[in-house]
Amino acid sequence: MSSFDLLAALDMGITPHVVLTLYMVMLLAFGIIGYLKSKTSEEDYYLAGREQGVLVTSLTIMATMFSSAAMLGIPGLIYKDGVSFLFFTLNLPLSGAAIYILGSRIWRIGRTRGYITPADLVTDCYGNSGLLRSLIALVGFLYVIPYIVMQIKAGGYLAQRMFPDTESIIFLGQEIGIFEMGTIALSILTMLYVLIGGMRSVAWTDVVQGILLLSGMLVAGTATVMAMGGPSSFFDQVAALPSAALSVPGPSGIWSPWKLMTLCIFASLSTMIQPGQWMRYYAASSPKTLKRSAIIFSTLLPSCFLFGVMLVGLGARVLYPPSVENGALMPHPAIGSQAGGFDQVVVAMLQEHVPLLLGPTLGVVFVSLILVAIMAASMSTADSNLHALSAVLTRDVYDRFVRPRAGERERAWFGRGVIVVATLLALWLVNLGEQDPNFKPIALIAQLMFVAMAFSCQLLPLALDALFFRRGSQTGAICGITSGILFVFLFTPFPQLILSDGLTASVKGLTGTLSGLFDIGFSGFVVNTAVFAIVSRFTPLPSKERLESFERDLNTNPHTIK
Amino acid sequence: MIEEQQPPPYPKLKWILSAIFLFALIMGPGPGLYLINDFAAAGGTLAGVPALYAWAVFWFVVEAGVVITAYRTIWRDLLE
Repeated sequence: MSSFDLLAALDMGITPHVVLTLYMVMLLAFGIIGYLKSKTSEEDYYLAGREQGVLVTSLTIMATMFSSAAMLGIPGLIYKDGVSFLFFTLNLPLSGAAIYILGSRIWRIGRTRGYITPADLVTDCYGNSGLLRSLIALVGFLYVIPYIVMQIKAGGYLAQRMFPDTESIIFLGQEIGIFEMGTIALSILTMLYVLIGGMRSVAWTDVVQGILLLSGMLVAGTATVMAMGGPSSFFDQVAALPSAALSVPGPSGIWSPWKLMTLCIFASLSTMIQPGQWMRYYAASSPKTLKRSAIIFSTLLPSCFLFGVMLVGLGARVLYPPSVENGALMPHPAIGSQAGGFDQVVVAMLQEHVPLLLGPTLGVVFVSLILVAIMAASMSTADSNLHALSAVLTRDVYDRFVRPRAGERERAWFGRGVIVVATLLALWLVNLGEQDPNFKPIALIAQLMFVAMAFSCQLLPLALDALFFRRGSQTGAICGITSGILFVFLFTPFPQLILSDGLTASVKGLTGTLSGLFDIGFSGFVVNTAVFAIVSRFTPLPSKERLESFERDLNTNPHTIK
Repeated sequence: MIEEQQPPPYPKLKWILSAIFLFALIMGPGPGLYLINDFAAAGGTLAGVPALYAWAVFWFVVEAGVVITAYRTIWRDLLE
């Protein structure tokens, strides 16, 4: 019986409808309240007036970082690869430290100079280059788009699980099933509150979504441990798993220690400098806010993983061991019926065990809440990325290349237009991919998602140099980031579309070896940094006055400048 | 007029904490895992918990401890 069938077997009644309706009404209310409190300025729409406190900052950073992967993908990897993938958690204290170490500098100079996007800061350091600004916008775009698409898709799958008996409807001659209804509901609702309230609404909804997500992670872990007889019995059963599930590189053989370590370092840093997070550093009310957010992030989030949702994956490995079919690792039929079914482990485990633990009424309420938490995880990532994409395309492209003389009001409306177009485009791609088996953009994007963080990582050498060293030149920065992006592109399916078969085979050999050894972002980072350093050595650096002024604003309390 | 930046209160502590954090990254998810991997693969436990799980929790505590120590000692911002 698949998790889908499990849900069908469990009489959920109207509880999911009630919980979901309450959740959606609350999100819209936040959108409207955010709109009523907003001012008409671009800074207010994108950065909530730069006055967000500790609770909002810490939870919006957490909610932005963790998409549906926190409740679906990561526990699924634990179920598939056993204890080895637990070490992914060790990237989180580093991410937390980055919130303060990078964020406080970004905050200081951003406040002094009125920055809104990452490119504002980097191009101000190296000299205002349109090309460099476009490349940084491209890095942000390559990170953001796959994430928006994947979150919308998760909305469709969750709707299928929450309301399996819903009949299709015909609208304008098109059959709309529950999957399409889920994607439409998630994307339109998210688009609406981002459009209406900007950063303020996004951050407030992130607070609720973050609390739901963290609670869901802990409840899911606790329910699994209790269902297996308590902590002692749980760990006894886990310790009896086959040796491959208890050691590295895990049953699928991919999690070598070098790969885990580079993933922990570079995936975490690249995620913390993606546009959505970077703008949250600008939006914080003070560095003290970032400092406290760093502590909450470093301690609370890893605990929710290690002592919460990751235990669900381990428990499922004991209760429903995967099997090898035709050389491929497949989930137990109780979890999922195809290779991608590993992601359904949390849903399947909870649907089976929570009602048994808590009784049918309370159990169904909890299952509904956790399913809404998974949806919240998707929405909190989609909204932040939509909002960041709007800022990047407006500030770094429209304002620089299309309408440099546009007023603040016009830019704000263009930004809202970006949100609408990006949402509709993502929605169209998701639904087209579902309806037409020959159309494969979603499969392509799913593969791209794994390298999205690697693209974001290509901003890291420039960000570190601008914030700490200031030894690079503008030409070096352009060459470095270009080579980094091109190198990471080799790991995507695109080279096989443009290269000959022989060359494609050589590229696949190189990328296959490298991605087996290290995180992809790390490989791109090495190429990027080497090119950046070498070219900077032979090209003119920014003027001394520019660098001194930049350094002064990085290290100065903006409130003391008189 | 611009206020000058004050020197950090614990100049050496920054480097000590950085070194401990780096060591935790090498020992936790990094090649330090090989020290315990065979024991873990044989079903070994530490305090009743599978060895690799206990190893991950231990190095998480070290990393979090470094961040908390930095928060309480060297993260002194100009606004405070």
